[in-house]
Amino acid sequence: MLTPVEQIAFLALVALCGLVAAHGFSLIFRTVRTGQAALRTDHLVGRVVKALVDIGLQKPIFKARPVVSVFHAFIFFGFTFYLLVNIADVLEGFVPGFTTVGAGGLLDWFNLFADLFSALVLTGMVFFLLRRFVGRPKVFEFNKGVLLHPKVARGGVKRDSLIVGVFILFHVGGRFTGSALHLAMMGHGDPWLPLASLYAQALSGLSPEAMELGAHVSWWLAMGLIVLFLPYFPFSKHIHLMIAPVNLILERRTARGQLDAVANAANPGAGHMNELAWPNILHSYACIMCTRCHEVCPAHNAGTPLSPSALEINKRYAINQDRGGYAGGQGTPGLVGSVISEDAVWCCTTCYACVRVCPVGNEPMRDIVEMRRRLTFEAKMPDELAAALRNLDEQGNSFGESNRKRSRWTKELPFPVKDAEAEPVKYLWFVGDFASFNANCQGTTRKVAQVLNAAGVDFGIMAKSENSAGNDARRVGEEGLFDSLADKNIEALAKCQFEEIITTDPHTYNTLKNEYPAKGATYKVTHYSEFLLKLIQSGEIQLKKKLNRKATYHDPCYLGRYNGVFDAPRKVMELCGVNVVEMPRNRENSFCCGAGGGRVWMKDHEDTTQRPSVNRILEAVGLGVNAFTVACPKDMTMFADSVKTAGQEGKMEVVDLIDYVLEAMDLAPAAGNAPAEAATQPVA
Amino acid sequence: MKIVVPLNQVPDLVEDLEIADSGKELDFEVLKMKLNEFDDHALEEALQIKESSGGEVTAVAVDGPEVDKVLFTALAKGADKAVKITGANPHADNHTQARVLAGAVGQLGADLVLVGVQSAGDRDGQLGPLLAAYLNWPGVCVVSGLKPEGGKLTFHKEYAGGLMAEFEVDLPAVMGVQAARATPRYAPVSKVRQVQTTAKIESLAAAAAGDVPAASVEKMEPPVKGAGAKMLKSAADIIQVLKEKGVV
Repeated sequence: MLTPVEQIAFLALVALCGLVAAHGFSLIFRTVRTGQAALRTDHLVGRVVKALVDIGLQKPIFKARPVVSVFHAFIFFGFTFYLLVNIADVLEGFVPGFTTVGAGGLLDWFNLFADLFSALVLTGMVFFLLRRFVGRPKVFEFNKGVLLHPKVARGGVKRDSLIVGVFILFHVGGRFTGSALHLAMMGHGDPWLPLASLYAQALSGLSPEAMELGAHVSWWLAMGLIVLFLPYFPFSKHIHLMIAPVNLILERRTARGQLDAVANAANPGAGHMNELAWPNILHSYACIMCTRCHEVCPAHNAGTPLSPSALEINKRYAINQDRGGYAGGQGTPGLVGSVISEDAVWCCTTCYACVRVCPVGNEPMRDIVEMRRRLTFEAKMPDELAAALRNLDEQGNSFGESNRKRSRWTKELPFPVKDAEAEPVKYLWFVGDFASFNANCQGTTRKVAQVLNAAGVDFGIMAKSENSAGNDARRVGEEGLFDSLADKNIEALAKCQFEEIITTDPHTYNTLKNEYPAKGATYKVTHYSEFLLKLIQSGEIQLKKKLNRKATYHDPCYLGRYNGVFDAPRKVMELCGVNVVEMPRNRENSFCCGAGGGRVWMKDHEDTTQRPSVNRILEAVGLGVNAFTVACPKDMTMFADSVKTAGQEGKMEVVDLIDYVLEAMDLAPAAGNAPAEAATQPVA
Repeated sequence: MKIVVPLNQVPDLVEDLEIADSGKELDFEVLKMKLNEFDDHALEEALQIKESSGGEVTAVAVDGPEVDKVLFTALAKGADKAVKITGANPHADNHTQARVLAGAVGQLGADLVLVGVQSAGDRDGQLGPLLAAYLNWPGVCVVSGLKPEGGKLTFHKEYAGGLMAEFEVDLPAVMGVQAARATPRYAPVSKVRQVQTTAKIESLAAAAAGDVPAASVEKMEPPVKGAGAKMLKSAADIIQVLKEKGVV
């Protein structure tokens, strides 16, 4: 029970801090509203239920760092319960004679939980403080070239962490001490407060006056501090405990593989914060600056100046710099050059790992694509990228080859491949640029044709009119080029008679499946891994041999993480008698080869210390396998090269999924198909 | 400072060249055309001059297939005006082209005309000198690093052996640009599409070319394939060949 003076002081503090905090929250609300429109309030009930269940089970956070996540769960459950504890404490302070101690019934259970959770929160918090300030794990560090807001560079995140950490220690520690003093004053323990009882024994030597004073001080530490802390919340990263749930409720519900339409065609993409969609501004408030996103980022791991984490953190610090101004619509922070450097924007492989792993549902990769849209529109891009885009525009493929040579790979086959533009086919094979033109991929493409032919599949290709599907043109931000390529393909496809599209290329697969429908062109699209599985299971493909070998499998980003095709390729391997040995990073957590998002057309950044593809090959080394299985034409190019760089030539072989099927069918590779020569040519 | 940049399309050499039934010219019906790479450099240099010292850039092209795309692309890159010359043959030889362009430049008015130093279609000489002659202006080719100052222009010209000279010329003049100071910029398709809806291409009727001295083509044909080279794999092979030829 507080003294009347204390009660008045507390109420005054609540009123004052409440007002300041409310102002802070309103600034957040108004800043977020400066963003572009986005529909995130559909199916609101379903959204809320899903988010609450996910958060309740701590699902988003257990996607990575399991040990750390356990300690987070301690704090999370403890803090959630502390909402009740805080109410009880206010009642104890204001209602004469009210106490939960020894009250019996449900309140006994309340005390038990409060007792245990206090200890868990304290344990969790001590763990996090030790981790950040003593353990200092490398994952918190940024690469040398990463652009950081001056305050971040001066250790702003650390400072914020320390303030929040110490606050929690005092808040919970104060409350726990209060309970212990209460018991000490009673002179005996309480079985419903086992830990506080132990603590009480240690305090039993204090004088009654000291105990009384301590009880008041600890009440203020618990309750006064949290009120005093309220205005700090909207500034601090600790606001994540309120914004993260909101962020998760309002998360994107469209397909991962579908980019948003351009909001303003006259000036596409984002050059300033308010040109991002409003949920993407909200992201910076949800960010707890845990750096999980850059831990999985291929560009960060390669040593380049891209850190998706730094992007979100910088966004937040840039907004904080003039919160009132931005919220009022005066000016808005710039993006490229302010929250991320221009070269970092071009380091992104759009692999989606950062978005997938984010425990609060942020999408740094999509911010980057928006910035690329603006840069591309202003023709600011690396020269090699401009050359590839010019090729795509002029020739319809990134190789700058005549599009008439697109079907040249079929010439060496001992059977004709149907031209789907000339006759109806059941399956239209959309071959894609790399599988058609890249010398290291054509052998694999022919093997696929050979298997389909042997299985009696009625298939054909668009020998003359296929253009790049445009997936990567879109991911470098060249929306107009994507539109133009897609329009050409849709027009050509409309002239063909077919039931289903098949493709070996996950990038092609992604955009045909997820992005063409927005242009009014919906097809049934199947990746060859799924198609092969179907043919094997239906008996159309007869597997005669068991290969009895061990191999690992690399999930292509645009097949696995983007489109959830994980099982089909593994199943095909197993049916061929290949024992699949998983790499530590597999399925949703697969590590990008480094080719996506148009990176395949660009030079390595000069800061590169290790290419992502080499990193990946080294991951496979040590599994005791000598075969690295791919199911994407770009992967064949990327990994065949990095096997050499990694010094694994002769020890690790890059094998396409189709190689197993061909061998298990007991078919000899067709003419012109010598075993795949390791790739040495630069990619186009 | 008014800069005029004539843009010329040439066959896209990623495709095989095909000769028309007449046997005297390329089959322009089936050929894929693209902007002459050197003209792209001339345009880039013009835009660079505009961006560094001001001016107005006008892209000019003879009407023909895909000419709108070429001109809209120039506008998307930053040209201020695009003019299509109608009623002339876009595949004509350079003497005729130069006459047509000289007429157009006369009507448009210009302080500086930048052309690509050469083109895959230069059958009868380079366009730059011909155009300079018809305009009766000074003309210099294989130049780079153009800098206008007052009514003059300084530039560099490279000679054999890497020798570099700096020139100054009185304007108006015609320059055959070897290379722009920066890689010709990319014209984003998004921007080209946008320009198509907001900008206009002006038309200009071609003045009669008149009697142009020209060489006529008698016959055009692809090079005849020779017997090809034989790859020798070892010293023994070489000795064998030498023996066969009776050298040793």
